[in-house]
Amino acid sequence: MIRRVLGRMVGAVAVLAAVATIAFWLLHAAPGGPFSSERRLQPAVERNIEERYHLRDPLWRQYTTYMSGLARLDFGHSMKRPDTVGAIIRRHFPHSLIIGLLAIGFAALFGTALGVIAAARRNTWVDHGAMLIALFGVAVPSLVLGPLAIRLFALKLGWIPPARADSFVGYLAPAAVLGLIYAGTIARLARAGMLETLGADYVRTARAKGVSERGVVWRHALRLGVMPVVSYLGPATAGLISGSFVVEKIFQIPGLGFYFVDSVTSRDYPVLTGLLVFYVAFLVALNLLVDLAYGWLDPRIRDQRGAP
Amino acid sequence: MTRRHLITLLAVVAAGCGLPEGDYFGPVPTVDDPRALTWCNSGEPESLDPAHGQSTVATPIMHALFDGVVIYGDDGLPEAGLAARWDIAPDQRRVTFHLRPEARWSNGRPVTAYDVAYQVVRVLHPATASVNSFLLDWMKGNLGFLENRTRVLLTASDGVARDTIVDIVAIDGKPLADWDAPPDTNLRRASTPLPLRDLGAPVVAAYATVPAGAEVTIIELTDRPATMPSPDGQAWAFVFWDRGDGVYGWVPAETLGPSPSRDHRYTVRPVPAKEVPGDPPRWLARPFDPNLVRPTIEVGGDALLMLPEVLGVRTPDAHTLVVEAIDPSPSILGAAATRALRPTPREAVARRPRKWVEPSTIVTSGPMHLTEHAPRDHLTLVRSPTYRDPTDVHLDTLTILSTDELAATANLYFTGRCDAVTANAVPQSYLAALSTGRGGRPYLDYTVEPYLGVYFAVINTKRFDNVHLRRALAYALDRSRIASFLRGGEIGVASYNPGTPIAALSDDDLRTCGVTRDTPGVALVIERGVLCYVPPPGLEYDPAKARAELATARAELGSKFPRELVYKFNLGYEGHKMVAEYAQAQWREVLGISIRLEQQEWQVFLNDTRQGEFELARLGWIGTAADPEVEFLRMWRCGASDNRAGWCDPTYDHLLDEAAAMSDPRARLAKVRAAEEVLIAAQPIIPMFVYTQKALQRPYVRNLPHNFIAQPPLWRAWRDPDWRRAAAGAR
Repeated sequence: MIRRVLGRMVGAVAVLAAVATIAFWLLHAAPGGPFSSERRLQPAVERNIEERYHLRDPLWRQYTTYMSGLARLDFGHSMKRPDTVGAIIRRHFPHSLIIGLLAIGFAALFGTALGVIAAARRNTWVDHGAMLIALFGVAVPSLVLGPLAIRLFALKLGWIPPARADSFVGYLAPAAVLGLIYAGTIARLARAGMLETLGADYVRTARAKGVSERGVVWRHALRLGVMPVVSYLGPATAGLISGSFVVEKIFQIPGLGFYFVDSVTSRDYPVLTGLLVFYVAFLVALNLLVDLAYGWLDPRIRDQRGAP
Repeated sequence: MTRRHLITLLAVVAAGCGLPEGDYFGPVPTVDDPRALTWCNSGEPESLDPAHGQSTVATPIMHALFDGVVIYGDDGLPEAGLAARWDIAPDQRRVTFHLRPEARWSNGRPVTAYDVAYQVVRVLHPATASVNSFLLDWMKGNLGFLENRTRVLLTASDGVARDTIVDIVAIDGKPLADWDAPPDTNLRRASTPLPLRDLGAPVVAAYATVPAGAEVTIIELTDRPATMPSPDGQAWAFVFWDRGDGVYGWVPAETLGPSPSRDHRYTVRPVPAKEVPGDPPRWLARPFDPNLVRPTIEVGGDALLMLPEVLGVRTPDAHTLVVEAIDPSPSILGAAATRALRPTPREAVARRPRKWVEPSTIVTSGPMHLTEHAPRDHLTLVRSPTYRDPTDVHLDTLTILSTDELAATANLYFTGRCDAVTANAVPQSYLAALSTGRGGRPYLDYTVEPYLGVYFAVINTKRFDNVHLRRALAYALDRSRIASFLRGGEIGVASYNPGTPIAALSDDDLRTCGVTRDTPGVALVIERGVLCYVPPPGLEYDPAKARAELATARAELGSKFPRELVYKFNLGYEGHKMVAEYAQAQWREVLGISIRLEQQEWQVFLNDTRQGEFELARLGWIGTAADPEVEFLRMWRCGASDNRAGWCDPTYDHLLDEAAAMSDPRARLAKVRAAEEVLIAAQPIIPMFVYTQKALQRPYVRNLPHNFIAQPPLWRAWRDPDWRRAAAGAR
């Protein structure tokens, strides 16, 4: 087990280095720079600014400097704002994390419940109804759902603030909007997984020895039936936490998503590369957790020692 | 359909269905505290440091936090600030400001002329690398300072007197331009540790210590013409240590040790008193006086230092500030109101040069003080107890919401969460509803005011040097229709320099401008009751003239007449596309020219238009002061860095040269106007409309004007609990 984790971590470092490298070169290949605007800077100023941020060094040197900083966990300093990338992450990631976790919690509970119920009552109106809700969740993107939710709950009913999470309540609506898409997918995965499991031999055995249908579904089948959901949860969580930009924007949550997008348009090299590396590290870590959870949920995997 | 469009569409749906009936956009909340105001800004300020902040998001906040020698008044024109009075020299090249002795920083220290001079040095010093240096491009010596090549001669040498300002020509016989990293005379290597501290402070009060062997750069010395006197008789040096974010501090000059550059031989050239140190800026194509003898001398590096006095700034005493311009500058007061001349607190900047504007360390001089900053969410400003004029401040608390999504901002306003919205933070999709919501008429709390900015199409004249083709394109546009689809009250103009519609001017301003109310077009009041600029008329919509010009162009160009033109515009504002499509339709309909539209990402667009990789492109230009010449016309000189049209007309440049040398403001404006006529006739740009500021402001908000440069004095606003009675009385 420890060997597997260590192996994965070595692989993760390689992935991160590759991501940082690709991001660095792609971004520098794009036209423009952090200090271009309609009003052109005086050449002397341009030179001074470029020297201040070492943009006049040859690219390979900028690259090695950046990578060696990264190795020391130094993400560098933003070229547009008076902040280090580390400070930006520390300050704004918690907001993304809160709505991400709330959203995944909502998606996992609501989605699994929907899927399991649908599977248990397969081909009845309950199943169809649940799947319709799931389909709605998958099909309607958050940039549609968000404004509609604001229109109804903020402007019409006045239950939530239309923007800014100035209290915990403010996080709920964006989290629900964000989670609904994933809830739909999770419901469908849970349903498929449950259907397969409910037809498995050990479930038939359970039924044969007289376990109640409720017991069969919730105690015996559920643990294996939600396996597809679990494997989906890792990337979904990372996706939710890193991909909440649209929802963050609509609801004006001061999360990290804004910087991710803004650094692309403003060519703030250190911020974009730093955030990319951070997100990828996050994704890799979550995938590792999922693998470990697999082992806990399914004894067959736990026993395959040494397998990656 | 892109995401942006979808958001827009939904916002339209959301805004359009079932807005409440009434005079105002959203229910008007009751006013509890007249001295508290919440202001919806349009984003997170990139910096609150007047040396680094530059956006319209940051500037109104900086102007509330930092006093200026002159400040922007309610009408956007300069009014007395730190300086109670000033004398402008008859040649308009020099202003002497007399500062109020009672002004205090928030830490209790008096605000002095040295603090203003320090800000000038910060903005222009290579070590600061400030993007705001263009705001001081009128100042004497700015370029030589920026380029780090003007020096003060510290010891008399070869008949050249001590303290003469010189230019470095060569070092060790090698021309300066050929040096990649020329040895800097201001560098010092610390032979012993240097404890950095406030001026005159003992060693124990040091907040940073430069280790022996590390390099520091001398920024200032005490007792110089543009710096403060020494408190104890010995010379002190203000130095910069480039470590991490950098740190500045004072040390006794004698502890600095010898100059490492003393072994280099510097060839320098005295700068005559009237001449500008450094070569002239690019737009000043005026040649130096050829009869001027500029002998060079050779000195060691230890005889030279770059000091603030090489700039056109002087501090005869703590409360007198002299600034000097390269040329006669009728708008020098307007230039003095910008952030580049807002004093900054040296003691705070020195310790944390990039982070001193955080609430825990900020020191302010303005009417408001920063107490809270939640990035990307809000800022809290409170009345500054040390401000020089407490009666000028009506607010106790100003909360600024940093929302960057326009729909969210409008919704916050709609639900009563902010009292006013900054100019141009109203989403495009809401405009139609806002301007017709009250039974076909605009809501009473929605206002549209002119803005000092102009929107135009720029033509790459390197590819289209046929003036008739350009004129044909200009004649074919009916600008009066633009506001009907942009819906923001945009002022369609064929003339170039922006201003207020003449029909909307006050009687006094009409007199100043010398026009009657029925004159079409716009005018710009530069100084109330004194000076006004009425731009020459443009090529107004005229299909017959358009076709005649087109015929001439076809005849002249023959087979080289373009089959198709490409019009580029950038993402980021839906209006760009609407304007592009309108122009495309007009040019096809009136001229039969086919236009291909190309939408680009902002940086790609900037790059393409700068490199000349375009045929036609949209462009907007926003001025920072009421100065047609500097803000709007200089950019079209031959080879000017922002001249994307690549247009060059010696007549135009000559007229502007003549204007630049004139100190009579009226005669000068007449010359400027003649130059603009040349520009209009040649049409390297096709003016389309004057920008407007769309704003939302509750009826109880008082004293929050929308002036033409969008710089409202926020601290003067207040909320009137009795507004309903006042409104009823007005009816």
